[in-house]
Amino acid sequence: MAVLFLCVLPLLIKNDFYLDGLILIFIWGAFAGAWNILAGYAGMMSLGHNAFFGIGAYTSTLLLLHFGLTPWIGMFIGGLLASCIGLILGLVCFRLRSHYFALATLAFGEVANIIAVNWRSLTGGSEGLALPIQSNLYNFSFAGRLPYVYVGLFLFLVVIGISYVIEHSRLGFYLTAFRENEDAARALGVKTGQVRLIAMVLSSFLSAVMGTFYAQYLVFIDPTSVIRIQISVQVALFAIVGGIGTALGPAIGAMIFVPITILLRAKMGTSLPGLHMIIYGIILVLVLLYMPQGISSKLKERVPILKKI
Amino acid sequence: MDPTVFVQLLISGILLGGVYALASIGLTLIFGVMKIVNFAHGEFFMISMYLTFWLFHYFHMDPYLSTLILVPVIFLIGIITYYLFIKPTLGSSALCQIFITVGLSTIIQNTVLLFWSADFRSISLNYATDSIIFGPFPSLPLGEIMVNPARLIAFVSAIFLSIGFYLFLKFSYTGKIIRATSQDRSAALLMGINIDKIYKLTFAIGIVLVGLAGGLVLPIYTVHPFVGFDFVLVMFVVVVLGGMGSVVGAVMSGLIIGIVEVFSSYWIGQESKQAIYFLVFIAVLVVRPSGLFGLKEEEELEHIETIDS
Repeated sequence: MAVLFLCVLPLLIKNDFYLDGLILIFIWGAFAGAWNILAGYAGMMSLGHNAFFGIGAYTSTLLLLHFGLTPWIGMFIGGLLASCIGLILGLVCFRLRSHYFALATLAFGEVANIIAVNWRSLTGGSEGLALPIQSNLYNFSFAGRLPYVYVGLFLFLVVIGISYVIEHSRLGFYLTAFRENEDAARALGVKTGQVRLIAMVLSSFLSAVMGTFYAQYLVFIDPTSVIRIQISVQVALFAIVGGIGTALGPAIGAMIFVPITILLRAKMGTSLPGLHMIIYGIILVLVLLYMPQGISSKLKERVPILKKI
Repeated sequence: MDPTVFVQLLISGILLGGVYALASIGLTLIFGVMKIVNFAHGEFFMISMYLTFWLFHYFHMDPYLSTLILVPVIFLIGIITYYLFIKPTLGSSALCQIFITVGLSTIIQNTVLLFWSADFRSISLNYATDSIIFGPFPSLPLGEIMVNPARLIAFVSAIFLSIGFYLFLKFSYTGKIIRATSQDRSAALLMGINIDKIYKLTFAIGIVLVGLAGGLVLPIYTVHPFVGFDFVLVMFVVVVLGGMGSVVGAVMSGLIIGIVEVFSSYWIGQESKQAIYFLVFIAVLVVRPSGLFGLKEEEELEHIETIDS
């Protein structure tokens, strides 16, 4: 039902302004979902997902610019590269828990940002890279917004689907067991290291794929838009406010925040820099203090139909 | 390498390291006693820089003199922050503890951005612009060594404050209680120590220490809303290298990082120096999470586990 509604909805909206909002909801919702696979189910709070997002965006863009490779394939190469790096990071940070893991990934994310800013010959530094503007299927570039909406919707549903499957599969139970009590999980025969790495690889792969899609939608990338550390904070914030550790929570978070951002930008323009980040921060703090399970859990309490999902 | 250049770099590094040390003591103290990583630590550094800047700008108050106003104000800010953000999350999940300070940091950064814009501001002290020249030393193969007075003042004050604080921890009654709480919270509680009061005090002292560092460096660095973020990354490196919770470790590794930073920016350039010490940071976290001067590994990790559960 909900899926059908989402499929038809873009056709009813003729306004580019709303379609833009819809695409951003799909991008951020899916990215937050990817973050949630690692943070929500495995309990490993990463502050370095900006690196994976950026790796996706830069890999496909550079392959397109230098080798003329279609971003449809570049997307997967970026994803594979990100998951390899994610795997290495996962192996390296094997023993680190909670605060330590957050610190290590924060440093990792910052290193990625520094590389993107300073390796000018490759990434164009702060000036960024412009993607080819010819709109065709091969370039993954379209004149209208409707194709983007559907690709975005597809990726969005894929991430939610994967999260749902994880949540109800053996892997999900293993991850939850690891999150709640590692020693007990090990004692019961759960290969905690292995399941943790699977979560890491999945999460970084999907984040990079979303990075490619975001780059294709913006048609221009620079460190500020795809790889700075604030992106990690933002994506974590969406997932936490929506509801961490649930398949739909991150999507709900994006549905709350993206409209706020767009409305503020439309009303205020650039006259009040940072205002939307202040509001983000305040909402995050309030949610953490008063409903740490996120908004989706409250919704489930109030609306009985959602319980079944 | 020319010995004059070497000594010059070494001295610059040590002077820089002193400030890093002072700024990091608060962070390591808060971690040691309360087992939380204050991701908003840099923002208090930034606030202090702004406070000192405005006092200089409007009242022409000497930045070193204005620490007399700075200390009580920032202490009060620390107490208020403790009650509003830290205390409510002390018993909750690692997720809450990490992201409450991440959220706080976002709020403070962007509020400052909103009110005072992203302009870079700096002050110039007429008595601290000309470098003091030592040498040349004819008996040694050394030429002239130049020392910036503002850096010298910052270093000397930082070292005195660090030593003073160390003595306070070591010998005063309150200091002993703080250390006791850090070592074993439950035992301290059983001995009738008011944990809440100690936490409040520790947090406020931690904030005052980083605030003092902020005030002291204003004559050297420009202030902007994101200066705290730049510094807090260095502070994390220092704290992890020194061993989370170890005050002596923080001072030692502050000096080490200062020297490493100066030498690496001489050899490989200003931009890449950060990437170097973040890699060092991840390496230390991985190989020896308890740092070079920290508690024994198992003990430390055990601490983290107990906090998690």
